[in-house]
Amino acid sequence: MGAEDPGGCFPTPSGERGKEGRQEEGSDSMQGDSTRPRYELTDIEPGYVIIEREMYSHAARSYFSAEPVPPKEPYREGSKVWSFWEMAQSFRFSVRDHLTGAKVAFNEMLGLLYYACASKDSDLYRIGELAAESKISIYVAITYEAPDGSRLEMPIEKLVVLNQAFNERLTTKDKKILILPDTFGLYKELSYGQIMLDFGLTAMEEKS
Amino acid sequence: MRLQEIADKLELEKLTPVFDKEVTGVYISDMVSDVIANAKAGNLLVTVQVHSNALAAANLVDICGIIVAQGKRPADDVLKMAAKAEISIFSTALNRWQVATKLYETGIR
Repeated sequence: MGAEDPGGCFPTPSGERGKEGRQEEGSDSMQGDSTRPRYELTDIEPGYVIIEREMYSHAARSYFSAEPVPPKEPYREGSKVWSFWEMAQSFRFSVRDHLTGAKVAFNEMLGLLYYACASKDSDLYRIGELAAESKISIYVAITYEAPDGSRLEMPIEKLVVLNQAFNERLTTKDKKILILPDTFGLYKELSYGQIMLDFGLTAMEEKS
Repeated sequence: MRLQEIADKLELEKLTPVFDKEVTGVYISDMVSDVIANAKAGNLLVTVQVHSNALAAANLVDICGIIVAQGKRPADDVLKMAAKAEISIFSTALNRWQVATKLYETGIR
């Protein structure tokens, strides 16, 4: 359950990283269409981000579940006992390139963090404020945890596709979106509530 | 139709400066993931969600403005974030259905 590959997309050996989660579509899709965007969010699968906690160490980790009723039973993994802690509605998706027919799955992505939702003392916030002056909105792609507690990697090639997909949709003049990898190590200090996920609506309403 | 015109017609309370953009349509949702997956650039978002992540999602997909229904009001830091992102936020005592009805009556489709 929680120990399995979240979304089935662990990084593969280094030589393959640029291609992971990528599959070619039929040749008919390669003809392109000048009237539609090049990139499209596709295979949108609603589900839940399940956050579980280890009973003794209180370590937390998360994974995606597309099951209609998310699993909540505690289970043993070696000497550790993991149990359900919290969940948020979310979705996973792929991005399809209509020009090449390639489809890139983003199963390792837990969610995006907007710079302004990060701590005001963080480097991300300072960089985000600077970028905002040039109408660039900074987001960080936060990935799921691997079983050993590290984070799954998101290759730069995939981030390029993600950035292109979101920027292509923009219509506001001069506006740009820049989605960065978590080179800041934010996952070590983030709360899940800072990431763009749908926790209970009541819980999401900030106290004013 | 422009955002300012809609705000005037619906007598919306302006919580941020109005960044007067063209409204291409309306999306009604309280879910961040739904907005990211389905809202379109230039859409006017109608919601009761006041969390900063709602603003983050709206900014990501280039929502032109947000109407917060049922008298709800985002915290001041969220309003500052919105102003920086040039996303206008309005408040109204109307519920989402009433807002949708009035938007339709103004000619928004």
